[in-house]
Amino acid sequence: MDVIPSLDLLGGNVVRLLRGDFANVTTYGDPETVLDSLDVLVGSRLHIVDLEASRSGHPVETNIVRRLATRGLRIQAGGGIRSLDHARTWIDAGAEKVVIGTVAADAPEVLRTIVDDLGADRVIAAIDIRDGVVRVGGWERDAKSSLAEVLRRVEELGIGEALITDISKDGAMRGPSFALYRSLRTNLRIIASGGVSAISDVVSLGRIANVSGCVIGRALLDRRIDLAEAKARVATTNAIPERVIPCLDVRDGRVVKGVNFVDVRDAGDPVECAMRYEAEGADELVILDISATDANRATALDTVRRVSESLFIPLTVGGGVRTIEDFRALLRAGADRVAINTAALRNPQLIADCAREFGVQAVVLSCDAKRTGDHFEAMVRSGKESSGVDAVEWCRRAEELGTGEILLTSVDRDGTNSGYDIELLRAVTSVVKIGVIASGGAGNVEHFRDAIEAGGARAVLAASLFHDRKLSIGDVKQFLSSEGIPVR
Amino acid sequence: MKVSLIDSPVANVANIARALRTAGAEVEITSDPIAIANAQKLVLPGVGSFIAAMQWLTENGIDHAIRDAVKRGASLLGVCVGHQLLFDLSHEMGSTPGLGLVKGEVHKFGGILPVPQIGWNRVAANGPLFDGVENGVFYFVNSYAAMNAPDEIARADYGGPFTAAVQRERVFGVQFHPEKSSAAGLRVLRNFIAWM
Repeated sequence: MDVIPSLDLLGGNVVRLLRGDFANVTTYGDPETVLDSLDVLVGSRLHIVDLEASRSGHPVETNIVRRLATRGLRIQAGGGIRSLDHARTWIDAGAEKVVIGTVAADAPEVLRTIVDDLGADRVIAAIDIRDGVVRVGGWERDAKSSLAEVLRRVEELGIGEALITDISKDGAMRGPSFALYRSLRTNLRIIASGGVSAISDVVSLGRIANVSGCVIGRALLDRRIDLAEAKARVATTNAIPERVIPCLDVRDGRVVKGVNFVDVRDAGDPVECAMRYEAEGADELVILDISATDANRATALDTVRRVSESLFIPLTVGGGVRTIEDFRALLRAGADRVAINTAALRNPQLIADCAREFGVQAVVLSCDAKRTGDHFEAMVRSGKESSGVDAVEWCRRAEELGTGEILLTSVDRDGTNSGYDIELLRAVTSVVKIGVIASGGAGNVEHFRDAIEAGGARAVLAASLFHDRKLSIGDVKQFLSSEGIPVR
Repeated sequence: MKVSLIDSPVANVANIARALRTAGAEVEITSDPIAIANAQKLVLPGVGSFIAAMQWLTENGIDHAIRDAVKRGASLLGVCVGHQLLFDLSHEMGSTPGLGLVKGEVHKFGGILPVPQIGWNRVAANGPLFDGVENGVFYFVNSYAAMNAPDEIARADYGGPFTAAVQRERVFGVQFHPEKSSAAGLRVLRNFIAWM
């Protein structure tokens, strides 16, 4: 998986246009300074777009390419290349490859001339897509050929790589179009472009067949993605499986399930459920004691003890943990990790204290988040009451204080089976390095995939879906695996 | 088969005892140096700090007892920090000598990934300890590990390769938690119990 920084050049500077609009420009400074700040290593690929050339058809930033090529960067240059002469200008300036867009889609004879002269291995076909249709001429009009036709033609010419951009995602920082890349039927190596805005996007793209690289622009410039970290995550992506975690909501020693934390119904014996889940392939079990009044704490401890005695996978327990002593009692009863929620919001120091006393690996922050206007708010008392704290900021802070992982529940989606809140997940997973467990809303196998792929979650949790046997854990893992996501 | 499980206060002994019993062992939990020195099969668990764990072993004469048992022909399995204790040295906050039963040193993870590692990781393994393990994925909780140990029998990757298990004659060590690794972990324990 090639992680390729992309620089758009205008007037000698690195810039970004929002959705291709020349009236909406952000300037980042001269290319050398920008590259130094990004730690782009010698020998790396670098994607260059000459924006002026894409408008006028005349290359203007050749000097920059010449300077950068002498730094040992493998440059792929593009922007309005419509003729062999134009393409040659870039190669003569030291670019390794040219990126050909409009002509590749609309003028096969010109593309052929360029390939014949420069060689197919020096050409990358750039295909821009909006709503499944190829766009050309600076995204201004539809191409004459369909996506399938363009791909076939490019392949027939012996070109090996295609840079495919989803225009609607470009620069919007909402993630790339995973569905588009998954739907492509081609032998070309695909470089994904547009919307890559979190390290998890890079990891997820690498798991899609045919995708061999991705181009990152604004997210690098805005420091949302650290290049070295992205490369390290990509390197271990297949060794570390993503986890499927069933959750038992327990009240008075019985498993119950609530819809939007309110209506509650009985769903069985916790020990029986736990053993069934481990046999089905659960990677971990979460028990949330949803009653957790003082009077019932003894019952909860007994449930934890009984479950842990019959389980050989990690056990995380939460609900009503207020003090270090509560925390310790649950660990003693057999929990491997303890989730803290309301008490930590009231006293954030509790996270640091527990981390120091029991180790970071034992601490899980349980964050119940609810959409409030344009942001998410952390909720207390089982999602019933607002804390006034921004949920994303709270998760970031909890990582600093010493939590090993975050169990992130969408209060809005919980029990609805309408899918995880991907926006909430992205907001949190893109600002913390520790793992996030997605919770609330799972209804079908695609939801689990989306939480990991688009949401960046490292684990997916569900309760009612597994209780009601609408899906088995095995079903979920089999589907994730078929989608290229590693599971145990 | 009787297994003597060393009752360290810096370990989650109950979980390992239960897993060993499920894997077919008759478990004796002990911190008596004489019983340990005379044991046939020993399991040395450990979580948390290497320094605290090593200190407890030396203060109670258990380090000598373990070495005596191994000299007499006992087999030994170290788990997590118990596995790290088998090595020559750990670099956790300075340098602390270990039991020196296997060659190598324990270092902190140096990569860019979050530490501690918490979770499942795929292990490439061979040797009798891993016989019949169909799916080599185990549960890890660690900030430190031996890297490229000479007696390595299993390797995993966490921002760089590390030693997931070692074997030197009768001495075995696993960096992961077999008692939390479901069927694969129980299989490893069963193999240790059956190993002669």
